[in-house]
Amino acid sequence: MIEIRGLAFRYGRNRPLVLNGVGMTLRDGEISVLLGPNGAGKTTLFQTILGIRKPERGEILFDGEDLLKMKRRERAGRVAYVPQNIQFGGLSVFDTVLTGRISRFGIRAGKEDRNAVWDILKEMRLEELASRNVEELSGGERQKTAVARALAQEPRFLVFDEPTGNLDIANEQLILSEARRLAREKGIGILTSLHDFNQAMEMGDRFFFLKDGAVRASGGPETVTADIIREIYGAEVRVVEIEERKIIINGGKNL
Amino acid sequence: MNAKQTGNGKKRAAVLAGLVLAVLLLAFLCLFIGSSHMSAAETLAALAGRGSAAQNRILWNIRIPRILAAVIAGAGLSAAGLVMQTDLNNAMASPSTLGVSNAAVFGANLSIIAFAGGFLSTGNNLTNYTVGANPYATSLMAFLFSTLSILLVLGLCRLRSFRPGVVVLAGIALGSVWTAATTILQFYATDVGLSAAVIWTFGDLGRATYRTDLIMAAVVICGIFVFSLMSWKLNALLSGDAAAKSMGVNVDLVRFSSMLLASVITAVCVSYLGIIGFVGIICPHVVKRILGHDHRISVPASALSGSVLLLLADTLSRSLGNGSALPVGAITTFLGAPFFLTIIFGKRGGALDD
Repeated sequence: MIEIRGLAFRYGRNRPLVLNGVGMTLRDGEISVLLGPNGAGKTTLFQTILGIRKPERGEILFDGEDLLKMKRRERAGRVAYVPQNIQFGGLSVFDTVLTGRISRFGIRAGKEDRNAVWDILKEMRLEELASRNVEELSGGERQKTAVARALAQEPRFLVFDEPTGNLDIANEQLILSEARRLAREKGIGILTSLHDFNQAMEMGDRFFFLKDGAVRASGGPETVTADIIREIYGAEVRVVEIEERKIIINGGKNL
Repeated sequence: MNAKQTGNGKKRAAVLAGLVLAVLLLAFLCLFIGSSHMSAAETLAALAGRGSAAQNRILWNIRIPRILAAVIAGAGLSAAGLVMQTDLNNAMASPSTLGVSNAAVFGANLSIIAFAGGFLSTGNNLTNYTVGANPYATSLMAFLFSTLSILLVLGLCRLRSFRPGVVVLAGIALGSVWTAATTILQFYATDVGLSAAVIWTFGDLGRATYRTDLIMAAVVICGIFVFSLMSWKLNALLSGDAAAKSMGVNVDLVRFSSMLLASVITAVCVSYLGIIGFVGIICPHVVKRILGHDHRISVPASALSGSVLLLLADTLSRSLGNGSALPVGAITTFLGAPFFLTIIFGKRGGALDD
């Protein structure tokens, strides 16, 4: 469980606060979806949780332990990151995934690390691609490789920034079902941001609405209503139920 | 099950072994080339110490130190270039784009022009310009200023938490300051001082002695060894700062220490040999194209191919110079400019600034 309390962050002393008192609780094995307009501070929040950026105030507790004061290596074994803009360095898929274990091996990867990577590649069905250069992969394969690299850290939580950003529908479904599998089967807690409400409804167990650096609303699927979307995004939508699933339609009554 | 991986390892070992062989072979062949037109038999005799006194001296005091310098400096400059490119996520990062060379030139000019410092040379007519001063004074000044310059750049960049583009821009700005200062110095220089200063900037392997070779070798070997230990951390940097940090890598420390080490290697080589540009761009560029970015292979492969390039360039410079060798720095720069343009206009033009 990750408990975040009163988190504040700014990009420089005289700049405005990007996060201003964020509080949220993330549970193991659950998919938490962070919703909010562009510039709400979603990526900043992710990077603060991951220890990439240091907050000005507030605390982040991982099962009661202070995540911010933890050593880099220990933190890397608890939370892992699949960034929005995935960048690879022209290594093979195998070596790219192996890089995820760097906090475990440091200088030279051992047999244990290699075996762990093979297991993950198998699990993600990336085995065939192991010796391919990552730069030759398709968008979906790149995304999967990035997930595999994060899993190589053997984390308890996965932060997944805009997982479906540049993917076609088939790859989108692939990645989302992969994320669901990790949460359900392996009990990994997932924190993600999604722009598409329907994807969010399909995926999420818990929803957090972020605006102006603070969480304005949170809870289960019932939290997602036309009212809150209007308040947070300033956009009109219509919420209908089809086969017991909430569907969010663009445009509301004006369209 | 790990067949593919060990296969990769074998390929790497084969490539490295090939490069080592190439370096040894070229170095051996270079023993036979020189302006004194010794025959192969005479060279071999001199190698065994059984030639005439003059031939022994030419081989052991001129050719061998020069060849060693090419191997050592080539490896050092090339590996340093590779690491700078990874650190700054910029294919055009190199000692010259970061102002390290300009600072070295200024330091050397200051020593030669203002303090009449001497420098070691066997390759030109200004050997007498060692006006009683310590022959190492110029090298020392060049080293001090290039180190100072890179510390300044790194210091400036800490303020902006190391955004790669910022480092390159800061390096360029600082480099121009050094160049301007050099121009002012040269404006007030005497004719002799000016020519000595200008000739110093020509990269010239003929200045190498066993002592300078030893110092360079110590720094270069330590440097490449440390870079090898850092291979995975440098690999992690290729995924971008945020991802590397999330993997538990102390990105700032890795970048700062490897940049500093790369700069010291460059500074030492440049201070003894003068400016030998573009080695640090050409070799890593080719190596990365052919063998990929993995630092476990690209560090040693860049180093070895740097040795090959500098041996070749030096041979070329000695055969073109009509008796006295052309500055090898000019040759590498002629070779390097097209590579620079390929990087700018090549398919991965995005490398300009990411």
